[in-house]
Amino acid sequence: MSATISRILRYTLNERILHWVAGLTYVYQLLTGLAFYSPHLFWIAVLLGGGPTSRFWHPWAGLLFTVALFWMLEVWRNDMRITDADRAWAKAMPHYIRNEDEDLPPIDRFNYGQKYFFWVMLWAGIIMLISGLALWFPERIPWNLRYLRYLAILLHVSAALISIGAFIIHVYMGTAMVRGGFTSIIRGEVTPAWAKMHHRLWYNRIMGAAPTRR
Amino acid sequence: MSNGPLEIKAISGHAGPVPGRDTSRDYDVCKLVDVTTCIGCKACEVACLEWNGYPFRETVFDNTYQTMPDLAWNYYNLIRFNEHTASDGTFSWLMRKDQCMHCADPGCLRACPADGAIVQYANGIVDFQQENCIGCQYCVTGCPFNIPKFNPETKKVHKCTLCSDRVGVGLEPACIKACPTGCLHFGSKDDMKDLAGRRAQQLREHTAHTNAGVYDPPGVGGTHVIYVLHDISNPEAYGGLPANPRVPWTVKLWKGPLKWLGNLAMFGGLLGVTLHYLRFGPKQVKEDHAEGKS
Amino acid sequence: MTNGWIDIKNTDMMLIMGGNPAENHPCGFKWPIEAKRNRNAKMIVVDPRFTRTAATADLFVQLRTGTDIAFLGGLIRYVMENNRIAKDYLVQYTNAAFIVRKGFKLPEDGLYSGFDAATHTYDKATWNYEEGGDLKGKPDTPGDGAPSANPPALPADVAYDLTLEHPRTVFQLLRKHFSRYTPEMVERITGVPKDQFLKAADLFTSIRKDGDTKKVGTIIYAVGWTQHSSGTQTIRTAAMLQLLLGNVGRAGGGVNALRGHSNIQGATDMAGVFDLLPGYLKVPTMADVDLKTYLTRITPKAAKPGPWNSFNYWSNTPKFAVSLLKALYGEHARKENDWAFHYLPKIDRRYSWAEIWDDMYRGHVKGLLAFGMNGVAIGPNSSKNIDALKKADWLVVCEIYPDETSEFWKSPGITTDEMKQIQTTVYRLPGAGFAEKDGTFVNSARWLQWKNAALPPPGLARLDQEILARIFLKVRELYQKEGGKFPDPVLHATWNYTDPHNPSLAEIAKEINGRALADVTDPKLNQTIKAGQQLPGFAWLRDDGSTSSGNWIFCGSWTEAGAQIQRRGTEDPSGLGIYPNWAWSWPANRRVLYNRASCDLSGKPWDPDRAQVWWNEAQQKWVGNDVPDFKPDSPPKDHMGPFIMNPEGIGRLFVPLAGMADGPFPEHYEPTESPIDNPLHPQQTHNPLAKRFSTPLDKFGSPAEGYNIICTTYRLTEHYHYWTKNNPMNVQLVPEPFVEIPAELADEMGLRGGEKIKVTSARGHYLAKAMVTRRIKSMIVDGKKTYQIGIPIHWGYRGIAEDAGKTGLTTANQLSPAVTDPNAYTPEFKGFLVKIERA
Repeated sequence: MSATISRILRYTLNERILHWVAGLTYVYQLLTGLAFYSPHLFWIAVLLGGGPTSRFWHPWAGLLFTVALFWMLEVWRNDMRITDADRAWAKAMPHYIRNEDEDLPPIDRFNYGQKYFFWVMLWAGIIMLISGLALWFPERIPWNLRYLRYLAILLHVSAALISIGAFIIHVYMGTAMVRGGFTSIIRGEVTPAWAKMHHRLWYNRIMGAAPTRR
Repeated sequence: MSNGPLEIKAISGHAGPVPGRDTSRDYDVCKLVDVTTCIGCKACEVACLEWNGYPFRETVFDNTYQTMPDLAWNYYNLIRFNEHTASDGTFSWLMRKDQCMHCADPGCLRACPADGAIVQYANGIVDFQQENCIGCQYCVTGCPFNIPKFNPETKKVHKCTLCSDRVGVGLEPACIKACPTGCLHFGSKDDMKDLAGRRAQQLREHTAHTNAGVYDPPGVGGTHVIYVLHDISNPEAYGGLPANPRVPWTVKLWKGPLKWLGNLAMFGGLLGVTLHYLRFGPKQVKEDHAEGKS
Repeated sequence: MTNGWIDIKNTDMMLIMGGNPAENHPCGFKWPIEAKRNRNAKMIVVDPRFTRTAATADLFVQLRTGTDIAFLGGLIRYVMENNRIAKDYLVQYTNAAFIVRKGFKLPEDGLYSGFDAATHTYDKATWNYEEGGDLKGKPDTPGDGAPSANPPALPADVAYDLTLEHPRTVFQLLRKHFSRYTPEMVERITGVPKDQFLKAADLFTSIRKDGDTKKVGTIIYAVGWTQHSSGTQTIRTAAMLQLLLGNVGRAGGGVNALRGHSNIQGATDMAGVFDLLPGYLKVPTMADVDLKTYLTRITPKAAKPGPWNSFNYWSNTPKFAVSLLKALYGEHARKENDWAFHYLPKIDRRYSWAEIWDDMYRGHVKGLLAFGMNGVAIGPNSSKNIDALKKADWLVVCEIYPDETSEFWKSPGITTDEMKQIQTTVYRLPGAGFAEKDGTFVNSARWLQWKNAALPPPGLARLDQEILARIFLKVRELYQKEGGKFPDPVLHATWNYTDPHNPSLAEIAKEINGRALADVTDPKLNQTIKAGQQLPGFAWLRDDGSTSSGNWIFCGSWTEAGAQIQRRGTEDPSGLGIYPNWAWSWPANRRVLYNRASCDLSGKPWDPDRAQVWWNEAQQKWVGNDVPDFKPDSPPKDHMGPFIMNPEGIGRLFVPLAGMADGPFPEHYEPTESPIDNPLHPQQTHNPLAKRFSTPLDKFGSPAEGYNIICTTYRLTEHYHYWTKNNPMNVQLVPEPFVEIPAELADEMGLRGGEKIKVTSARGHYLAKAMVTRRIKSMIVDGKKTYQIGIPIHWGYRGIAEDAGKTGLTTANQLSPAVTDPNAYTPEFKGFLVKIERA
């Protein structure tokens, strides 16, 4: 093991762009969506250029968000498979919550929570896309199929709420809780120690292979 | 369309109390459509178009006397023509003036997220304020009568205003003024209910329409447009008038329990992560290289 | 209308037939609805289609078009067989008890007595009453009766039998005549199943059930009755039914014609018919060599049972005629020159609508002034009218839009080469629309209502009166310069208007009302109208040249008290909807004609709740809520008949002598094009007097040639004749021409709604989309399954949809035949044979 290795590439530029396209569109969706969700939050729409503007861009941003999601799926499909190691890790999750990371079984590039977050966002995204289309063009749905519209409203908001829950945890963990995490999605790199601590199997795997430099 | 003298009862997407609520003793207004005396002359359609200043538009022949298949954003009032054979073989040609029903519990207003885009006046008129409309069309989904229509160019939704601009200055709606047979009446809800009830009773007692009745559906809290129908048991025959209209339960769920549940969950989530941080703090990586950053 | 629009609200029973008021008179239809709403009145609609009117009816009966006499005849039989007659009314107020002279023969074989097969006319000598006294209980003697006077005249002393039992009473003849119209026969002819007919018959006549005399029924009709080859007789049948039921003259009763144009009533009142002068005075014929001959011919003499009285109001005809001549020719009408009687044109034959076009087609008529009418689209047999115009030297069209007539050369089928051959010079004058003119409309209720112009005519458009005045003055100038064969009527016509080039209609209205030319005194009233003053009513008209009036029935419309026609009083003290101070109704502001008949013989109303007029014993005169249509001081004991315009004073069940061309009683004849032979008398299927034309374009089709579908034509609420097709609003409401096809027939043809079809008659074809509907059902007519279709008439080859290439550019009246009724000369637009195929 060479002491010269100070940084490990965790996210390629492509992955980082993807993440931030998804992230920023999601944030826009979140804010405008919340504005439409509750009168007490309608002021957000006003801040974002007014109700009609927010309503106009919301579905387009949603489309971009789901495009990014599917691209992510393409890129991370293998990384996001839930493995036996993940299941073992999941069992030990209380340790993780209590910051007793030394008591956790080793895991690969993403831990169970990250994978779960990905899949939740993907499915929520799909549901919001489909229901969103119905809400985008309600007049195209014939009157005798109006139940689809009623269902769409419920699905859209339910999926959004679930995604918001996941999103809160994601943001918290990526910024406040896991130090180094936020840097990694900005710059793409982590320290070997960080990698070793959080993703031992991944660390071992890539260190066994050709070490990466900046 | 907005107007001065009307007192506002409820408005859509609005946080806090409704300004000026319960300060007036205006009575409820109501339009009575006595379908049994409608001759489908379309004077109401033309009056509506002319009063609202919309241009005449191209239509196509569609094997019916009905002007167009459905209401449009600039066509608030449409007589629906239906040839109907009752179970006893009696043939009838039903003509029903279709327009916004001005529900006491308006699904459109419930569903609308835009502050002040839909206004319910104390007199019962439910009115769209296009300057506040964001074009989301949730009202379209919220309406059990298939009334609001979207203008894709301006991205605003429109529907019958019950001529709030006329009613506000003491005039009857334009359609009422134009109706030649007296099939349309306008007055207080109580008076119209009384008139409708007596007409329905007359039909039951003196004509073959022994099942005549008044359509004032309780599922939406009653409406400010009510019908006298020859056969109250079959409103669907009158061009799809719903037998038991309700604000869709998903809209109610969404705007009711789900909203509070969601708010609670979001607040709980934020609280949870904050507490977590306070209790456990961040995960620190113990660096085993001198040059590593903490 | 004998009554009026508003009066319909007073009825208990409505028979709406030959009309579709909900469609064509939606504003007036308010009153039938009011009757239903406020009186629980019943409405029976009998029509070839389930119409907008039928949609509000209590009972709808689908009838084969053109068989109305059979249906109504069946009702008459039903009334008599089931004793639903108003007995007192019938005996006292109609000619039921009059004895018809010997030799009169009922048309068991389809022909009345006196038919001349060579000329297709009747010698009506036998169509008369017998002379002389009460024949109660006297046996009828055989023989042909006394030879009739020459020319035949009504006997002054009519024989009668108040028991109605004498076999030659009108009543007995009527019973015999209509005994053939059994429910079974009605079913065979009309296609109305017997049980449905009986249901309708029982309902309509239920107002006279158990001797009830209070209830009233009305009959409402329009051109669905008139536009048949027996149209006038259809209306007669209705009138007879109403007389049998005692419904004429009563609030909520009567026989009510719904006029199809806002001023069609005014047009007939003001002589819009070739054989009438204003006020229904007859146009002189070639035999009227002088005024005396003319007046003797047209002034009836009272003819009545001895003990009865007859006002015979037409005995005043000379006063009306001389006053008209004074209005027409002013100082040039003098006693010495027979009041300029010889200025009046005399007719030698018919010049009715269809004849004008036939004459033009044959090259006799060289030019046409078409003002506010679209002769090509109106038809009938529009192709013939187009060909007629090709042969004319000139055509002047005054319109607000270019139309089928002003652009007749653009009719589809005319090639560019053919167009070059057309030598007709066409002048188009820009007319003014109805809202751009003031003046009066006379509505169906005979009200003269003044309207103000809403806005001035646009651009170069001119008011009708200005255009006509300028033409007249130019013609007069030419006569002045060049003389001519007979310049006097033109040179001497009265034209004393403030602006002779643009007379104000108010001035003309005053002229029509008439004024005193010298002081006129009524000794009874001890009142004098000074020379130059407007006359207060037609009772003031004189035959000595001291009064002038352009139309006696309008006399009283613009008096010294002002323009009665501009009144807007909304008081209705009686609650009967009389509104005596709203506008002005001819005659004499009477709202219900023959209203004396609303009272029993003693002068008390049949129904005190609907009291119109009554005899006031204390004042010794007739008083009431309406203006009594009667001699005001004639006490009931004098037994003056309430139908004062008939020389008999009674309502005519039997029309004697010249009253009707084709029979004293109505008889069912098949339409000219009919799917069956007449079940009553197959050897005489059609009206023997119906006029057919004989040019090569006057072709007729039969079932044998494949024309086996019955076609009728009509209008829509959304359109007004042939000009709203130029208005986007109306075009939006109904964008394209269509043909209503029974769903059953469409199924047989595999035809779906919206598909293009071609309707062909022997005369032409019509292209439009199919409207497949269950509102028209198949019928069994004389054992044959028969279909009817319907065509709204509003399209042609000029208009918004037409110019956009969305229509077949055909006119509905290219299908209809030029066959006319012998009494009113109305063409048979409402029933002919066609075949249909996919286009």
